[in-house]
Formats: sequence, C-alpha cells, structure tokens
Amino acid sequence: MIEQISIKNFKSFKDVSVKLGPLNIFIGPNASGKSNFFDALRVLQGIGYGFTLHEILDGKPKSVTSEIWEGIRGGSAQVGFAFENGDKPTSLQVTGEVRREANASFHLAISFIAGKGRFGEEVLSLAGDNIYHAQAEGATTPFPRVTYFTDEGRRGSFDADQTCPVLTQVARELDRRVEPVVHTLADMQRTDPSPALLRAYSKAYEIKRMGEQGENFAALIRMICSDPGTKEAYLTWLRELRPREVDDVGVLKGALGEPMLMMKEGDREWPAPVLSDGTLRFAAIAAAFFQPDMPGIMTIEEIENGIHASRLRLLVELLRNRAAEGKTQVIVTTHSPLVLAWLKPEEYATTFYCKRDEETGESHIVPLNEIPRFQEIVSKQPISDLFAEGWMEAAL
Amino acid sequence: MSFRVLVIPEDPTYNGYILQPLVERMLSELGKPNAHVTILTNPKLNGYPHAVRAIRGDLIDRYSHLDLWLFLPDGDRTGDLTPLETELGEQGIHLFCCAAQPEVEAWLLAGHRDRLSVPWQQVRGHRRLKEDVFEPFLTEFGDARSPGGGRERLIRETLANYRGLLSVCPELAQLENRLRAFLSRST
Repeated sequence: MIEQISIKNFKSFKDVSVKLGPLNIFIGPNASGKSNFFDALRVLQGIGYGFTLHEILDGKPKSVTSEIWEGIRGGSAQVGFAFENGDKPTSLQVTGEVRREANASFHLAISFIAGKGRFGEEVLSLAGDNIYHAQAEGATTPFPRVTYFTDEGRRGSFDADQTCPVLTQVARELDRRVEPVVHTLADMQRTDPSPALLRAYSKAYEIKRMGEQGENFAALIRMICSDPGTKEAYLTWLRELRPREVDDVGVLKGALGEPMLMMKEGDREWPAPVLSDGTLRFAAIAAAFFQPDMPGIMTIEEIENGIHASRLRLLVELLRNRAAEGKTQVIVTTHSPLVLAWLKPEEYATTFYCKRDEETGESHIVPLNEIPRFQEIVSKQPISDLFAEGWMEAAL
Repeated sequence: MSFRVLVIPEDPTYNGYILQPLVERMLSELGKPNAHVTILTNPKLNGYPHAVRAIRGDLIDRYSHLDLWLFLPDGDRTGDLTPLETELGEQGIHLFCCAAQPEVEAWLLAGHRDRLSVPWQQVRGHRRLKEDVFEPFLTEFGDARSPGGGRERLIRETLANYRGLLSVCPELAQLENRLRAFLSRST
C-alpha cells in the first residue's frame, strides 16, 4: 500500500504531497490536476516494471515479453512543471508498506529529467535500512554511480543504466529484498471498462485479471462463477443495481467455446450486447473487485459514468467494502456530488479536492477535512450541495 | 401504473437491504407483485427523531403523490405512532407505521433462529440487539464481500419462510392485516 506520495515539477504540480488511505477519492473541476496525479501513479507503475524512462512516458509497443504500455498523456514533452521555464528535474517520493511483508515500510525517492530520458538521483530505504543511493556525478556522466548496502551492512557500488530505474536493476542483479517494493509499484491496475469490449466474446477462457479496458471480461465472469460463494457475492451487487431484473449471471459460449457475459431474469437470458452501457460498466467494475489476482492498487477515473444517480450509493458501498478488505487500495476520481453524499465523515481525510491556482497555474491537492471551515459547514449543509455550487473551490 | 410505495427507514444505508425485499414480498402476498418500492435515501435519515421531522416536513411535498408510505423504525425508542398516522391521514397521505421489536435486524434474524446464540424470546427483548447479537451473526453467516455485508441474501433466506416470519414477528402480521384491509378498501 502507498501511504504518501510527494510530487515535484511534474505537469501542473510544482510541489504537492498526498497522504493516502485504503479508499481515496479525487474531486475537482476539469483540468485541476486529478488526471495528472493519475499520470504520476502511472510513472510509478512504469518504474516498477523497469521500463526505460522514454517507454514509461511515451509508451511501449507490444513485444514477445510484454503487452502494450500506454505512456502518460502528452508523453515526455509534457512532463516538467508546465508554468516555469528551465529543465528542472521531476521528483517523485513514495512512502508505503510492502504488501508481502507485514510492517515493512519503504521510502523511495526518484528524480529524472524527461527531456533527456535519464534518471538522476534515486534513494531507497526498506524497513529502516538504507538499501541504495544512486547519484549521477555531474550532468554529463553517462551512468549514475550506485552505492548499495547489503543486509550484513557491507557497501558496494556499480554503474547503473541511467535510462532505467535503479530500483529494478538492483532487484534483478543484487538484492532480492527490493523485490516487494518493485511489486508494490508495478501491481497497479487501471480500470476503464469500455462497453464495446464488455459486449464482446473474450479471447481467453480463463484469466486472473481483466484488461484495463475490460478485455477478457467474460472470461473473468466465468472464473467468478466457477466458485459458488464468489459468484453469489458478485451477483448480490448486480441484483442491487437492477432489483428484480437479475436473477443469475453467467456466460454464453461462442462457436469455439469463447465466453460472453449473460444475465438472467427468470428464464430469459440477456446477453451482453443487449445490456446497457451503465449496467455493463458497473458489472465490470464490480467484477474487477472479484478477480482471482487482485492488484495492490486499483485506479478508476470518473467512476459514476453511465450509472444512474440512485445507484451511486451502491457504487460507493462497493468501493468502501472492497477497500476495507485490505487487499486492494482504491483510488478514484468523480465529478458526481451524489458520490460525495454517500461518504462517511471519516472518509473526508482521504477525499481530495484538486484546484489550480489562478495566478501560478499550479495544482494543489487538499483533503476535504483540511479545507478552512469545511468541518463546520458540512455539519449544516449537504456536502453534495457544497461541491455542486463550487463552495470548496471558493474556500481554498 | 404500478402501485407506488415509499419506505421510510431510520437508517437507509443498511436497513434498506432488509426492508426492500421484505416490503416487496409482503405486497406480493397481498396481490401487488409489481409494486414499485422506493427506500427513502434523501434526506439521509439519522435516527427516529430525524425521521419523524422529515415525515411531518419535506417529505409531504415531495412524496404525497405516492400510494402508500411505510414508516418502519426500530421499536426500542419509538412511542405511539398512531397520532402520526392520523396527522398525515388528514393531509391525504396513507401512512402506516410498524415498529420492529426491538430493531429492524430482528426481522432478518427471525429466519435464522436455529443459528442464534440466544433464545428468540431474548432477541425480541434485547436492548443491544444490533451490537451483541446481529453483528456477530452477520460476521459469521454474512459475506463481507456482498452489499450490506450479506444482509440481502440473509433476508431472502428468511423470506423463503414468509409465514414463519410473520408468526414470530406479530407486528409484521399486524401490518400485513392492516395493508390487506387498506388495499381492499382502495380497489
């Protein structure tokens, strides 16, 4: 789990720091920085994969060993802080707890200059031990010198490939202790289901994780339905979404046995192509929380898309319920006041308002409970009204 | 046009999972299988006094066009609800109140009496039913992965023996009788 992220000189962020919890909701006007924060997460995931800086930022085509990796919006040309000239390095710092070992916290600080395609200084500590410190010796040095510390306290050094994160080089070559940190960063899943893909037959028969846009959704449904307890738990969410209209869920088979989602109302089968976009999107988001291989972090942008206002309570409960299980940290954005209406007051600390400063252009990210007078006002006025009328934006 | 019913719970977040299937089933037994049941979620009620204020206030404008209102609070803190029914009746609203003894969760537990750690008579008079009986029951027999922690499945299991539920929760049997009389008058 990631507990804190600090970002400097990245897109619209000059210097922000965010403390995260199990369920995190980002709100704010268009172009206020929400998606830029998600891009920063994307960079961290690319670091976890050990891609080159150019691949992380600009994308990577499909190869024999990896799927297509989409870079961040705007690619490497749009990475530095947008409102200052100069080639200042971008810096990301992450504090968290590795998933596979209880109580093992880590801190990773990493900097890079996007235009040059090179990583700069990088420091990792794990469970209180310094693991390595990498630093380029002058701007023209081709490789950063990495000093590392073994678990017996010995020091060593090597020249790293500066186009790739040192983290994964150390994990591969020197120190298996680092592997859980790599896994924590890499194990993110962006969920942005596309109804067109959800309506299609899956190419795979069995999968452990659905594609970002809902690829192989029906194969996931097949996996969920193979366990009666999991199927029943999943089905109850669909029943709540469409009371009296969903009695069962399963898959239909194509000519080659390939699966397609099907919902049943009494004896009547409703295959995926006739289901509405909103039903399919909710079904896919709910299914993502029942994947056999759950990611450490799941991100979903604009969660309310296609879902009826009266069912947003259900969506919030789904996110809360699954985040509380502790397997997956959930990070979402929304523009819906009604999503906020169903939050509990204790969730305001990890509900973040994003705002662009009108003068400097930089984005700020503020937890709702730190907005001046928010606690007092929200006890008297519905939070949905405050959000819809722009109260939060004006208060910051 | 289907028969339209507003259900007013004390706590829409979790009671709705119990009340919606229960009310739909009761109406179905009374010849209204396609009734449209709305659980009140706005305003988000927070306890009995808030619910009564809303019933006397904003809800009248917003929901007076519905065919029937059901106020189903926990019985442990309610007084006599007949004056409230009369008051709303004078404004043309068909309000029926039924207080759960002692709390709404008892209606779900009624179908699972053999799995409870306390005798049924004790459940009916328990002062901390939610905390001491229902929550441990839900942890053991519910499913944390489901909406409402599994309340929806558990109440459906209870409703599989609907007559049994009414026999051990006489307040529900009384509500059903009153609704039957109301529906026969209005048809």
